[in-house]
Amino acid sequence: MAFTATTSLGRAPSQIVGGWEVGLVALLLLLYLGGALVNPAFFGSTGAFHSLLRDTSRVAIIAVGVTFVIVNKDLDLSVGSTYGLVAVVFARLFAPSFLDLGVVTSVILCLLLGTLIGLVNGVLVTILKVPAFIATLTILFIGRGFVLALTHGQAIYYPAKATGYPGFFHLGETNLLGFNNQIVIFVVVAVIGAYVLAKTRWGYETFATGGNEQAASYAGIPTNWVRIRAYLISSLCAALAGLLSAAQDKGVTPLYGVSGELIVIAAVIIGGASILGGRGRVAGSCLGALLVVLLDKVLREGWPITRIIKIGDEEITVNAVFSLPVGAVPVFLGLLLIVAVLIEPYLIRRQVAGRLWAWLRGRPPPPAYEIGSIAIEGVQTKGAMATDMALSATGFGKVLARRDALAVILAVLLWLTGLALRPDYWWNLSNSFAILLNYTELALITIGLTYVIAAGDIDLSVGAVLALAGSTAAYFLKVLGADPVTAVAMGLLAGMCAGLVNAIVTVGFKLPAFIATLGMFYIARGLAAWFVAGQQLTGWPEGYNLLGRKVNDILLHYRISLSDGLLRSVAEVVSVQTIWMLFVALVAGVVLAYMPFGQKVYATGGNIRAAAYAGINTNRVRFLALMLAALCATMAGIINVAYFRSFNPVAGQFRELDAIASVIIGGGSIFGGYGTVIGALAGAAVITLIRALLQLNVQGFAMPQHWINVFIGGILIVAVLIDIWVRQANIFGRLRARLARRTRTAETTHA
Amino acid sequence: MRDPTRPAPIVEMRGIEKAFGAVQALRNVDLVLYPGEILGLVGDNSAGKSTLMKILTGAYQRDAGEVFVAGQPVHFKSPHESRDAGIEMIYQDFALCGNMDVGQNIFLGRWPLKGLFVNRRKMYAEADSVLKRLKVDVNSVYQKVESLSGGRQQSVAIARAISFQPRVVILDEPTANLSVMATERLLETMLELKKQGVAQIIISHRLVDIFAVGDRVMVLKRGENVGDRYVRNTDEHEVLEIIVSGTREHALTADEAIKT
Repeated sequence: MAFTATTSLGRAPSQIVGGWEVGLVALLLLLYLGGALVNPAFFGSTGAFHSLLRDTSRVAIIAVGVTFVIVNKDLDLSVGSTYGLVAVVFARLFAPSFLDLGVVTSVILCLLLGTLIGLVNGVLVTILKVPAFIATLTILFIGRGFVLALTHGQAIYYPAKATGYPGFFHLGETNLLGFNNQIVIFVVVAVIGAYVLAKTRWGYETFATGGNEQAASYAGIPTNWVRIRAYLISSLCAALAGLLSAAQDKGVTPLYGVSGELIVIAAVIIGGASILGGRGRVAGSCLGALLVVLLDKVLREGWPITRIIKIGDEEITVNAVFSLPVGAVPVFLGLLLIVAVLIEPYLIRRQVAGRLWAWLRGRPPPPAYEIGSIAIEGVQTKGAMATDMALSATGFGKVLARRDALAVILAVLLWLTGLALRPDYWWNLSNSFAILLNYTELALITIGLTYVIAAGDIDLSVGAVLALAGSTAAYFLKVLGADPVTAVAMGLLAGMCAGLVNAIVTVGFKLPAFIATLGMFYIARGLAAWFVAGQQLTGWPEGYNLLGRKVNDILLHYRISLSDGLLRSVAEVVSVQTIWMLFVALVAGVVLAYMPFGQKVYATGGNIRAAAYAGINTNRVRFLALMLAALCATMAGIINVAYFRSFNPVAGQFRELDAIASVIIGGGSIFGGYGTVIGALAGAAVITLIRALLQLNVQGFAMPQHWINVFIGGILIVAVLIDIWVRQANIFGRLRARLARRTRTAETTHA
Repeated sequence: MRDPTRPAPIVEMRGIEKAFGAVQALRNVDLVLYPGEILGLVGDNSAGKSTLMKILTGAYQRDAGEVFVAGQPVHFKSPHESRDAGIEMIYQDFALCGNMDVGQNIFLGRWPLKGLFVNRRKMYAEADSVLKRLKVDVNSVYQKVESLSGGRQQSVAIARAISFQPRVVILDEPTANLSVMATERLLETMLELKKQGVAQIIISHRLVDIFAVGDRVMVLKRGENVGDRYVRNTDEHEVLEIIVSGTREHALTADEAIKT
């Protein structure tokens, strides 16, 4: 009998839970007991436990969806902004002060929005072949832009109308049994998710796609659909969570879901999923969500401490609570993300626990997994993909065929557009140099980023490192009263430390650069917020601010006055930072284009294995490139603070988006191997001009500030698509060839 | 035993052993290669051909055995060390950077310098002369490698190997990705190299190619040397039979096979 034969195999290992989940539960229990001992007022109460479960519910629902995406070897960074956007859109649809629709219509429209976002993510990543992190990061920024634009930065509340629809809003409230309905919904979602991923064909297809997409597609699995499906699931889960938050709070603020993607991805990874795909369980993700939310609450709640206060000669001990400033929590979550990502390749995949257990019992270690070596890696050479347009072209065509030609032409066209729209204002020295100032900051960042992208990596933390360096310098100047030189040195030190961590995690621990720098994105911005918390970082010696002044101001500071004339008028408009930027650009451009180090960067980005065979120390190249990006961002941050004479916590926000878009528009490839400093400078000019044009007041109409980031996000996606499909795959050339062939066959059939 | 008129071997590997965990990949394998000789290395999948070559280049470290290059005992820790000793390997996927042009690829990692800068004029001139010496046709040294066909890419890879002035060139499945025409050209290139005194080892599944240009063929089976033959004294049928049913006990060297 065939059926009895299978029983001799023993029980199949459970696919729903495993040892990792047991460990997580134990850790959670320990944490909670420890917390209850340290802070019984917070952890001891059932109310706190209930609110922990309630808040975990929404995070865990999203984590269920993201598990599918991560098992597929994809990434969905847009869930946090989808969550916020759905809550905001629901408010706009439902609130009496806006569209005042019914609850059913509103919910259906919100779910449709979730489906749309998932579909856009999925199509971009699969059919259009945009790397997952860049596609979903852009959708994240676009979603955030929409949230700001739709709320105008204001909270929207509708409690009065909500009482009329108890059917829906009861979902977010405590039920008769004494616990919140969201917990019920979470359990339902988690159970369905766990069974679908572990027991159904859908789940098996997901694991196959994540493990080896090529093998899966050879086996007849529609891998594109599997991946799109995962994005749909994750977006719909985020939409559901957004609706639950609307039901709970009966209102929305623009801060909903900010850095939600960080919490969710950290949760999924801690839950045992691999960022390298093919591994993960829904149960683990839910426990991970519980752990991360618990940690988040602990960090926000603070620790009870006793503080000794001196009043006169008397020392009085006071019970106080040490709590972190609001912005500082992401520091720890970002660290957690990086550590969690390291767990899978370094502990699970190397079977550290199993080997230790075997060693303790004196048994031989379990057989090692096959770890990919040079021999196993597949063919990397891209082959005859792009035709060499630069070679066949002659004269002026040769210039046009350069990859960075587009950016230069675009920059000129955009500038002329500005001139056409506002001839009275655009061609004005003060306007031109205002643009130039904005340009300087972005250009400085893109110079470093060009190296990173050309070497085949990415740095998502440039904007945050800018803020970190700026806030450090400001902190030293204002709070510690340091002199300008020390402040600059400390700013540089802080920024370079961030770069060092990026480089070590990326190169040393061999993590994908986007996840390492994503962690740094939160860490650096959180640290910057930490420095600025409760301080007014402004008002320090003018000597430091000279870094952001015009040349003439500096000369005047040193009591040198130029005589009237051309030199004087130039000195009055040109800033020292612009000169510095041009100097850095010149050096970096020459090194990249003409020196062996630049060639090594291109070789590393083009084919890292070939570069290593050729004796290039690719680790060193990538390390230096990441450090250079951090250095450039750091310099931009130090100058930013000097220019504004204060540190603003939003300094450098969205700058990573601008900078990546600039490099890609300027001829860089998101897959590495291409990019020039001239192109990046031109790309930065394009982005700066677009921002300036969007702010331009044309006949009384100006685009609202909040919409601009939506627009820039769209441009980044278009630039990446152009890079992939026009520059790399040469789609126009192939279309032309196909058309030519078709006309030829048509002629032959006629004949 | 050895014919005194023959030159000293350029590469000699004796008693090579290599294990990956529980799997014994190579068992007491010997290999001899003479200057200007083209040796075909054949065998089934997992016979240990690539492993043996990776031990020769230093990509893998041997567990036991000795390697001599031009009579000197060597122990390469990495492919860079074997390159210094004049051993070049051409990988199946050519290991080129598609985003860089032909000249830059030929001098990958050792671009000629003029002060601090890359000496582009010298680089392209020398790349062109190497390509000319190899008698291969690549339109221009300024062309990006990713826009070349597979055969041309391989020519660039070979030109790159030749530019190191190697004494031994190892070709890993050189004809696997090539069209018939490109294969013909490759075999011509190999004979051209032989004329210049470069010893070559081809790892290949295609006996036809080895019989077209090879001097000797060596068969590996499950990590063991099961015999070698002079191409002029054997035929594909015999080699196939050794591949399928050869054993270590009945293995004959090429010289022994002549005498029987």
